[in-house]
Amino acid sequence: MNAAVEKAVASAHRQEQVVIRPGKGLFDLELGLIWRYRELMFTLMLRDIQVLYKQAALGVAWAVIQPVFAVVVFTVVFGNFAKMPSDGIPYPIFAYAAVLPWTYFAEATRRAATGLVDDAELVRKVYFPRLVIPLAKVAAPLLDFAIAFCVLLVLMFVYGIMPSFKLLAIVPLILVASLLALSIGMWLGPINVRFRDVKHTIPFLLQIGMYASPIVYPLSQVPVEWKALYSLNPMVGVIEGFRWAVFDRGNPDFAALGIGLGVILVMLVAGLVYFKKQERTFADVI
Amino acid sequence: MTNDVAISVRDLGKRYLRGSGTKHNSVRDIVQDKLTTLLTLGLKKRQKDYFWALSEATFDIKKGENVGIIGLNGAGKSTLLKVLSRIVTPTSGEARINGRLGALLEVGTGFHGELTGRENTFLYGSILGMTRAEVEEKFDAIVEFAEIKEFIDTPVKRYSSGMYVRLAFSVAAHLDPDILLLDEVLAVGDAAFQRKCMNFARSLQQKGSTILFVSHNMFSIKTMCQRVIYLKKGKVVFDGPTDEGLRMYEGDSRLKETYWFHRDDGEPPITFTEATIESSGGINTGVIDHGEPVTFRMRYKTSRRIEKPEVRLSFDRQDDMHVMTFSNTLEGMELPYLEGEGELVVTVPPLKLTSDFFLANVAVRENRHGKLLVAQIVGHFHVRHPTYSSTAYGVLHEAGKWSHVPALAAAAPTKAAS
Repeated sequence: MNAAVEKAVASAHRQEQVVIRPGKGLFDLELGLIWRYRELMFTLMLRDIQVLYKQAALGVAWAVIQPVFAVVVFTVVFGNFAKMPSDGIPYPIFAYAAVLPWTYFAEATRRAATGLVDDAELVRKVYFPRLVIPLAKVAAPLLDFAIAFCVLLVLMFVYGIMPSFKLLAIVPLILVASLLALSIGMWLGPINVRFRDVKHTIPFLLQIGMYASPIVYPLSQVPVEWKALYSLNPMVGVIEGFRWAVFDRGNPDFAALGIGLGVILVMLVAGLVYFKKQERTFADVI
Repeated sequence: MTNDVAISVRDLGKRYLRGSGTKHNSVRDIVQDKLTTLLTLGLKKRQKDYFWALSEATFDIKKGENVGIIGLNGAGKSTLLKVLSRIVTPTSGEARINGRLGALLEVGTGFHGELTGRENTFLYGSILGMTRAEVEEKFDAIVEFAEIKEFIDTPVKRYSSGMYVRLAFSVAAHLDPDILLLDEVLAVGDAAFQRKCMNFARSLQQKGSTILFVSHNMFSIKTMCQRVIYLKKGKVVFDGPTDEGLRMYEGDSRLKETYWFHRDDGEPPITFTEATIESSGGINTGVIDHGEPVTFRMRYKTSRRIEKPEVRLSFDRQDDMHVMTFSNTLEGMELPYLEGEGELVVTVPPLKLTSDFFLANVAVRENRHGKLLVAQIVGHFHVRHPTYSSTAYGVLHEAGKWSHVPALAAAAPTKAAS
């Protein structure tokens, strides 16, 4: 790298003047700072990926074992014993198409919510915009998702389902799931800094969430009068979108997706304001 | 704010809540607290107990200046650095920073044990604010400075603590900031590496970097800084030339009535109320010249008669190294008992300790080697010498007698004899 480039990089990092004051405006979200610290975000994400399967004998295989195991259990319990309808699709792949985004969402949410405390040392000793942590935490499990996605392709081949161009829709859909995980993380993360109770609450919140989403049963089983309320759960639109993209049947549930996106937007903006307000005391109480 | 000012601080303050009662760790604590308040109709509402870790700090630091921050533990030094590095938000006042700021409050924060030295170099680099490209460019220099070339692809959990700290410091050293905040971090690693760190800090100095430097090592403060800011209970009590500030600090830091051990059953039966450290001049300055005979005078007070006491006076270096111990029983001065008030005097031979900061502790046992009654810090002192620093010369320096036998001359007498 030549000197000119180095200078440019250095001056990009150089802030002309930083003013340190007690308070900030409620809506001073400093989003520009996140952009300036994008490299740190990337590095922290990379660290999480690198660390996750170190010294695990099965390594990356865990990314596949988890959803596959869940689907096996669901197929036996709900598919065979309970004879749960699956809109005429073989139950294993019906469940897998939903477990895939859910596994990502659950992992991303869990990590985004506990990430600040997991990196307490950093928060206590180093300055950076704290939002970098939930962002990195939400991004890291995307790799697991990508690996588990390959299993979906295998299953599709086994069950003779031809992938259509609609399969591309899972890219924006998984982004919606990650925005949801981020918005939940921005609420639970700061609370977890103060009350470690959050850590113990997350598993059963996710458990409830799983049964409140059309994973082991199809959306068609939900009574019509409850559907609007049911769709307030943004994962409903995401999961139904996945099934539509994979099985290429009917139309995606735009209503559910629209309601879900609205919910996410509100939570995201409010969460951002809340997170930035709480951020100032993280180092004091963590 | 003029152009040549790097840090400008005005009325800066940081307030914390004191005590564990007000710090809730779980929802249960809060519910309990609220219930108490409710049941007692708010009469027992806990008064919020605040304290100012830092208050009304006002100063300017010019570009290129090196300033030492001194003060006892809990005086607000670290709080000041944390506020300036934006880790914590101040409660009042403001600070302005001009230029790229690097803060090293602890070496190696963010290192991950499972990752290799190489991976950690990139991770730590970006935690400190470097771009990947920057780390890549400086990578070879970082590894060379840390002296761990052959272990760079080993997970750092397998590193010795020395290697770990060297790599961390080396990454930080290549940050190349305009303003550097250092909290005791130059006191890491072995003596050779410390020397390297000091040299490095001096090279930064020559490049015109502004350095704000917290240390308990008065020797490094003296060599690095022309100016010191002395903090006491969160307030700036002195801001000016290093010599003057250190004199004031040393004058203040004599006897502290702090027990670090006493038995649970109430007050210890013996305590030390005053201690003085007299150097040859007969004055109590807290500074001892290397090789100077010193007299320790310790006033004690007992609440009961203490039979056959063993009194030990020991010195700990600021890095907690236990340096030496004097004991009345070992040194043949049997005391039948101690009662009421009195003074114990220990005259020690010329101490050849190297330049550093030491704590003096006293511990008393009953019936010679019986149970420990009290252990108390009775004072601290600096040993002063222009060259014999602890970083370069170890714990003590005694002059050896040298002679030289050149190979030819050594061979010559044998030849002559044969």
